[in-house]
Amino acid sequence: MSKERIQTITLSLVILFVSFVVGEIVTNTGNASTKELTEYEKLMGLGEPQAHVPGPSEVLKLAVKELSNPFYDNGSNDKGIGTQLFYSILRVMAGYFLAVLIAIPLGFLTGMSPIFYNALQPYIQVLKPISPLAWMPLALFVIKDSILSSVFVIFICSIWPILINTAFGVMSVKKDWLNVSRTLEMGTLETAFKVILPAALPTIFTGLRISMGISWLVIVAAEMLVGGTGIGYYVWNEWNNLDLTSVVFSIFMIGIVGMGLDLLIAQASKYFMYQE
Amino acid sequence: MKKFLEVYDLAKKYPVKGEKNKYITIFENVTFSMQKGEFVCIIGHSGCGKSTILNNLAGLDAPTSGNIIMDNKNVKKPSLERGVIFQNHSLLPWLSVLKNIKMAIACKFKDLDKEGIEKRALHFLEMVELTDAVNKLPHELSGGMKQRVGIARAFALSPELLLMDEPFGALDALTRGKIQDKLVEICDKTKQTIFMITHDIDEAILLADRILLMSNGPEARVVESVEINIPKPRNRAEIVKHQNYYRIRNYLVDFLVNKSSKIAKDIQNKNIDDSRMPYTISFPNDENTEKLAI
Repeated sequence: MSKERIQTITLSLVILFVSFVVGEIVTNTGNASTKELTEYEKLMGLGEPQAHVPGPSEVLKLAVKELSNPFYDNGSNDKGIGTQLFYSILRVMAGYFLAVLIAIPLGFLTGMSPIFYNALQPYIQVLKPISPLAWMPLALFVIKDSILSSVFVIFICSIWPILINTAFGVMSVKKDWLNVSRTLEMGTLETAFKVILPAALPTIFTGLRISMGISWLVIVAAEMLVGGTGIGYYVWNEWNNLDLTSVVFSIFMIGIVGMGLDLLIAQASKYFMYQE
Repeated sequence: MKKFLEVYDLAKKYPVKGEKNKYITIFENVTFSMQKGEFVCIIGHSGCGKSTILNNLAGLDAPTSGNIIMDNKNVKKPSLERGVIFQNHSLLPWLSVLKNIKMAIACKFKDLDKEGIEKRALHFLEMVELTDAVNKLPHELSGGMKQRVGIARAFALSPELLLMDEPFGALDALTRGKIQDKLVEICDKTKQTIFMITHDIDEAILLADRILLMSNGPEARVVESVEINIPKPRNRAEIVKHQNYYRIRNYLVDFLVNKSSKIAKDIQNKNIDDSRMPYTISFPNDENTEKLAI
């Protein structure tokens, strides 16, 4: 291992340790009060453990417990963290792949034809900045199904970055490469698949990566709205239970899964990268 | 004798921005022809429209007016019969050297099977001495190697006419010399018809049967056609000893330094008749002096 690498890892561990210690110091345990309580105070529940922001050790304890049995199912309001994450990932994938299926061909067309591009531009520019959750009431009314509505919300938020990046990638294919395909008398389809697509793939993957990030951000909010299952619902449910340890734990899990999804696409994109 | 390639009154004009019906003429009245198997170089200062003429010949870009006829057919769009070697090699960066060439061959020789395509690709890579690099990606190659792959790709298609747009412009002098020698060797073997743009007078004399000289742009013309009367195949070291070498070289330098701008001024002031351009210039071998030179 190089010296630089050792230094990097050491610094990383120091940051972890410091945040752990600081976390422990600034939070309290929320244990029940041990001093003598009046009747009134007992009635108000002051003898019970208090709601509090959990310290790192508490979260870690819960994490070990939850992750050792992530797929348990004790009824609709008590499912394992793994089950909840699984539902969320499923919805994200469904909406995301639907978006990929539509956005890549449409982006391709838009990038290849200036007429298409200019005609679609105003619509894309208006639709793109709409918060995906603003679609939710309309989706619920039209689709009449909360799960499909959250899938639709994911679809509508991930379609724009893929569409725009695909069109941009296709438009910025080097003229020299297109000239090569022209002098080789390639047809439009052959040029599209043998020259334009491989040339645009790195840019398309940038769009795919951005969209995946946004989808994962949005699914949490969408599930808080529609409820039922999913990590977003889980966070909100635990907030209603005033179980802040579970809230903090699921916050971290959202981060970890989000990182995993990003890594997945980053790895896949490596196969299609090229260097000029 | 019927000419293989004929170019008549070619012109390229661009509209002036913001002014209606006003055009800037890049070149005009460009007329020349080429025989099968001939190697023609075109030399002129930047901005005279050499690359545009080449793109017109390739069919990648249409002239404003004029005709290009190759093998009795009008040149309107790109064709596999006219190969192009671009200045910046234009290899597809995501394909290996071999795959770049195989893709091109598959486009031209449609009934060739996979083995046949591979065999042909390897044959031409061998010709440019790149057998060790077949599986490398273009970015792993040096500039000279990339250009050699470009040459192999173009020759592998055995086009009727090969167009080269300053193929060695971006290379250092030593590499350029080596590839030029390679090109002399390949041309001697294949008798390929080539039209090439260059800025390098020595390169043009080494390679060409004829050099077209252009006056400065705008309103450039192909003014003269200089015949290089030095026997082929030529050799970098021997060619300078030929009696015509310095006569031609000095003539070309004088044209580019003095004449090309003077003619451009005359054309702009309409003081010159361009209807009979290009004028043929040749330097006949004087037998007595040749004997003396040897």
